Amino acid sequence: MKFLPYLLKHLRRSWFRTGLTVLAMALCIFLFCTLQSVLAQIGALLDSTSAKRLVTRNAVSIVFDLPQAYGARIQSVPGVERVALNSWFGGSLPTKKEGKTSEEDSSSSTTDWSNFFPNIAVELGPFFAMYPEYQLPPDQYQALLQDQRGCAIGRKLADKFGWKIGDTFYLESFIPVHRKADGPFEFVVRGIFDTDPVKYPGTDTNIMVFSYKYLYEATGRTLGAGTYYVAIKDPEKAGEVSAAIDALFENSDAQTRTETEKAFAASFISMAGNLALLLNGIGVAVTFTILLVVTNTMSIAVRERRTEIAVLKTLGFTSPQVMGLVVAESILIGVMGGALGIGASQGMMWLLTHTPGIRDALAGIGLSSLSLRPLVAALGFANAVFLGFVAGFVPALGAYRARITDMLRTV
Amino acid sequence: MAMVDVRDVTKVYRRDTEELTVLNGLSLQVEEGDFAALMGPSGSGKSTLLNLIAGIDKPTSGDVVVAGTNVAQLGETELAEFRSHNVGFIFQFYNLIPVLNATENVELPLLLTHLSKAERRERALTALKVVGLADRAAHYPRQLSGGQEQRVAIARAIVTDPKVLVADEPTGDLDARSATEILDLIGILNRDFRKTIVMVTHDPRAAERARTQHHLEKGVLRD
Repeated sequence: MKFLPYLLKHLRRSWFRTGLTVLAMALCIFLFCTLQSVLAQIGALLDSTSAKRLVTRNAVSIVFDLPQAYGARIQSVPGVERVALNSWFGGSLPTKKEGKTSEEDSSSSTTDWSNFFPNIAVELGPFFAMYPEYQLPPDQYQALLQDQRGCAIGRKLADKFGWKIGDTFYLESFIPVHRKADGPFEFVVRGIFDTDPVKYPGTDTNIMVFSYKYLYEATGRTLGAGTYYVAIKDPEKAGEVSAAIDALFENSDAQTRTETEKAFAASFISMAGNLALLLNGIGVAVTFTILLVVTNTMSIAVRERRTEIAVLKTLGFTSPQVMGLVVAESILIGVMGGALGIGASQGMMWLLTHTPGIRDALAGIGLSSLSLRPLVAALGFANAVFLGFVAGFVPALGAYRARITDMLRTV
Repeated sequence: MAMVDVRDVTKVYRRDTEELTVLNGLSLQVEEGDFAALMGPSGSGKSTLLNLIAGIDKPTSGDVVVAGTNVAQLGETELAEFRSHNVGFIFQFYNLIPVLNATENVELPLLLTHLSKAERRERALTALKVVGLADRAAHYPRQLSGGQEQRVAIARAIVTDPKVLVADEPTGDLDARSATEILDLIGILNRDFRKTIVMVTHDPRAAERARTQHHLEKGVLRD
């Protein structure tokens, strides 16, 4: 610790250079923490999926429906326990206008994207049977089944809008075929479901479900199924059952693609390509670049201080001590950059989850709980210290090996 | 016993296949409390000899015994420890650390001791008083004149109370007046503080201050 003031004085010698290096390091750690937080959140989301559930969708694209008749045929496949037809509604709250509530202005066609949240039309019976993580009280479940306009919302969604049982709200879909001529859909909150975070970690309750029958009838009985949730008896046979389902419709107009819920969620989130690979690739590239920047800075700093290093050695500092000072200085840059980067990442998380529009866009893809996890922050900090160490090691090795007489001679 | 005993020392520098003999079987004794001046033309080996005595270089052959320790036989770490306890080095260009003020510069060698912060500060201030710069304790090197910088460097050299002071042309970068002041100060350290001093100089007036003078030429003593 007695060398700390000495190190800090050296860092202040060229405060502009030190500041830029710390900022570069901070940028690196900021990106690392932010990207890893997004990946961790996606990972948690995927982990919340069940190995006992498959998703069957149109083989061409998720945007194309499947015939309703497929449900019964999928149910007949050996190994299938239950099938729930569903359709991503894509509804948003209508925009409030000056002096009018949403209800009064329910004929408006404009939607409030800033309050977007996932809402899905499902076959309620099989859905709640195959999603035990959504815990809906029995009386609320019965009330939901008896009211076609009824919906069940997750606890997080209820808290967000302050909705209670019996409250009414309106949603209008951005998908043309999910709209009805007389304005937005009216919903009545009939159930609020919770989840057990210990038993079902990562389960997001920022979601709403309602009866598919309501959507089907209100839109003129022409809709198909967006996807089918398929509960299977044995998770070990997921591949076998998936292949059997897809084989069933191989010669149909609408061929299917069945995959595990996890694979489906991953493809839904990433849409295209491997998001994790992309984000990690960016992280590695930035980290490597910053490593070069900091190494270069430390090399210049050591080169500028050849005489001082010679003086230190002449005064009795051993080579390992001199090397330690150089490495410690570099690590100090890492520590400062790391702390700054983690702070910035924390700020960014707060901004993302509190800025209307962005917050709700994230919620729409299940990332409403985006936050800087302690483990990611710790990894980011360790990364910064490691980068500082590696960046300082090579110049420090030069200082370690340098002979006093040679360094004094270059004056 | 001599404080500095250089026995039949040879120093050869090698570059690729070339060999350059800088010191050739040189022997020299400097008694405790002596003030010795090493003189000679450039390339005569006086700075090399000074480096060997200070323990910042090792001879190719021969022995260099300083304060009873044969520095030629010490490893790198032992040499560093030896320097921190026994030798104070005064450079021609002062070589103060620009980001540290006078007190901090003087305190630097004490960071290697177990002294507390307060003790280190007290000793550094005492050393600055000895060289007459107590009122400049908080000044940075850029705020000091050349002569004052060299005084701070001398304070740094004596703060650990070493047995031997080695000075490599300590007045070489100073004007006449400052040079005289520095030589006066070195004289006081020798006379009043009983420091054994070995000084390399080109300046005959500086050499006159020494009790003994040694002339080197082509790596051997001529006197």
